[in-house]
Amino acid sequence: MSVRIAVQHLTKTHEGRVVLSDVSLEVRSGEILGLVGPGGHGKSVLLKHLPRLLVPDRGHILLDGRDLATLSGFDLARAREGFGYLFQNYALFDFMTVADNVAFPLRQERSAASADRGGEQRGVASREQQIDLRVRERLAEVGLERAYHQFPRELSGGMKKRVGLARATVTNPSIALYDDPTAGLDPVTSSRIFALILAMHRKVPGCASVVVSHDIDRMAAIVDRWIVLEHGTIAFSGLRADLLRALASAPPDGLLRRFFGDPAALPSHVTSGATA
Amino acid sequence: MTANDLPASQVKRPLLARFGAPVIAGYRAARDLGRLFVDTFVAIARGRASRKQVFEQAFEIGNRSVPFVVITLGVLGFITVYQVAHQVAQILPDFSMLGAAFIQMMCREFAPTITGLMVATRVGSGIAAEIGSMVVTEQVDALKMCNADPVEYLLAPRTLASGVMLVMLTVVGVVSATIAGMLIAKAGFGIPYQTFLRFDLVGVSDVATGVTKAFAYGLAIPVIAGQAGLQATGGSAGVGAATTRAVVNTSFAVIVLDFVLSGLAYVVFDK
Amino acid sequence: MTMTAVFAPVGRATLHVLATLGGAATVFGRVMRSLFPPRFDKSETWRQLFHVGVRSWPIVAMTALFVGAIMVIQTAYFVRRTGATSFLGYGVGYSVFAEIGPVLIGLMFSGRVGANNTAELGTMVVTEQVDALRALAIDPVRYLIVPRFIAMMVMLTLLMVLGDLFAIVGAAATAQGLLGFDWRVLIANLVESHLLDELLMGVVKATSFGIAISCISCYFGLGASGGAVGVGRATNHSVVANATAIFLLDFLVGWLFTL
Repeated sequence: MSVRIAVQHLTKTHEGRVVLSDVSLEVRSGEILGLVGPGGHGKSVLLKHLPRLLVPDRGHILLDGRDLATLSGFDLARAREGFGYLFQNYALFDFMTVADNVAFPLRQERSAASADRGGEQRGVASREQQIDLRVRERLAEVGLERAYHQFPRELSGGMKKRVGLARATVTNPSIALYDDPTAGLDPVTSSRIFALILAMHRKVPGCASVVVSHDIDRMAAIVDRWIVLEHGTIAFSGLRADLLRALASAPPDGLLRRFFGDPAALPSHVTSGATA
Repeated sequence: MTANDLPASQVKRPLLARFGAPVIAGYRAARDLGRLFVDTFVAIARGRASRKQVFEQAFEIGNRSVPFVVITLGVLGFITVYQVAHQVAQILPDFSMLGAAFIQMMCREFAPTITGLMVATRVGSGIAAEIGSMVVTEQVDALKMCNADPVEYLLAPRTLASGVMLVMLTVVGVVSATIAGMLIAKAGFGIPYQTFLRFDLVGVSDVATGVTKAFAYGLAIPVIAGQAGLQATGGSAGVGAATTRAVVNTSFAVIVLDFVLSGLAYVVFDK
Repeated sequence: MTMTAVFAPVGRATLHVLATLGGAATVFGRVMRSLFPPRFDKSETWRQLFHVGVRSWPIVAMTALFVGAIMVIQTAYFVRRTGATSFLGYGVGYSVFAEIGPVLIGLMFSGRVGANNTAELGTMVVTEQVDALRALAIDPVRYLIVPRFIAMMVMLTLLMVLGDLFAIVGAAATAQGLLGFDWRVLIANLVESHLLDELLMGVVKATSFGIAISCISCYFGLGASGGAVGVGRATNHSVVANATAIFLLDFLVGWLFTL
């Protein structure tokens, strides 16, 4: 189980306020990493640093051993192809249909295009057909095959999140990032989303997933490793077993207890295929 | 409450910082803008602007602006001919050169610049509002994650479409202003259409100047408005601020370009 | 079928224009009601005057500078052709004071202040701050709109005068630098041209623009809906309406002055 992303001493300030302070963590292949903490304490900001959508003030982010800061524009774009990102507000392109939204990352894949150059004769048509097939497949998996021709504005919040999920995972990325995937959704839809996250994670062998959420109960079912972020620093980091041990000896009014509650009440874990 | 709410006299900053800060900020902004221009033109030159998008944008920028341009330049034509004819009637009642001079000025100066300002207003704010909304709803980040460069995807098609469309809109503007001027000349001062509609003063230099100005404005507006949009932060307030910045910056850019190109035309053609 | 295709957009556009006109007129009416007798927030008015003035004078001054410069270059063409060098001062003065100056300064003001106003009010509306004001029994017209109306009307009038000054400076500098024309002669010509009427017309235009811009931008701002996208759209519509209004008022005032 290798380290895909290593965050080293990441510090970030915004308008004079320190958002992240000396944060170090690892994202490992095959694992689902859960990032939790009180609202506004830097979780989304941390997540955005991983594909370098934000730039650290201090510290380094290494992707497969390479410092992101050293990558040229082109290399960075190639590196980002290996990521899937579900944004907090789904960030669907509202000027395109659902189908075009999900197909977009596939159509933009430069490396795939150059590999396909051999079949250029019947090239364009068959590549489009392949893309279309993948799109329909992915939409079916999230239960939205009927939304194919619709526009984002015609969909409900939960449906938009599912489309966002489809788009984030359509390229079968080896690193999947989910920013608050169930914010504002009803319980039934929330459970469905988490089930989908687990399914997508299992689809790609060695996939590394990072989930930022407040939905502790649903996270507990799938998360292998936990990180608790408070005031921009890491208050706890460890596997599920470590968490249970820490909770057992934690003070009743401390952060861990307030967040996770009674260790006995923590929902049981569904193995995600990660080696402990 | 921020420092901006206090009267300037109460915000104590060392004198050098007070003058230095805006200068440095201005330099940085200019440098970023320059870089954005280069990136956009490179993207266009490398053929990265999707043809479908260019045509869509051309329709949005060009066709959709026609009514606006026709009205504003028509009114401008009306006003100008009315005012000038009124003056001429009082000083020397010779209207023979009125139409010719009017058309020449339209081609060389007023049609491109006023059309440019109108497009800067309508399209500049539109682009900034669009891109700004995309930024605050994380769609631009999503583009980056899907391996689409925002400059290539958003700015390049708009810039190319705008450059071409602005030239066409200027032609529409000249025609509108001339027709309006012609009508008021006849209705208000009895000047026959043939006397007004004379092109003998319009030379190659005038047309060339007009076209160059229009093209330059067209290229500048989307990039400047795009920059304002891409810098939007913080929800609806951010989008509003970006839209405002875009209108001001694009309008001002049109005026500065007008000055530069007018001066250049003068030096090249008339010295 | 084609009949509807032709007339529907025209009809829609007409309705849109009428709606804007009606809306802006309504705002104007409500402002007038709060002005006579004067019942509006005085401290907010001073704050707006300061804000509007401080925010817009640099851009107006710079615009005026360039406008003066451009008009010198354009007028120079005619002067050369006809040889009437004394015309340069008159031509520049006339066009800047009476026509080009007010329109261009009006447009820049519409962008800098009008758009900003719509954006500010629009944001307040979509974040429910205006509702909050009403819940506190504060009349939005007295607190928000009238101060802005007064500020924009007064400021644009003052800025027009300032702009005229800067335009002359720009004209003189360009005349000297680019055309080799003695700037003192230019100023002398200008003064001799007795352009007081034109100056007055320009100022009256500016005042009318200020009134129109404030009413229109407030109308669009208060009508914003739909979050960030709505604010952007409202600002867009606002500047377009402002520009149209500027041209129409330019024509109207110009025509009134010839009576």
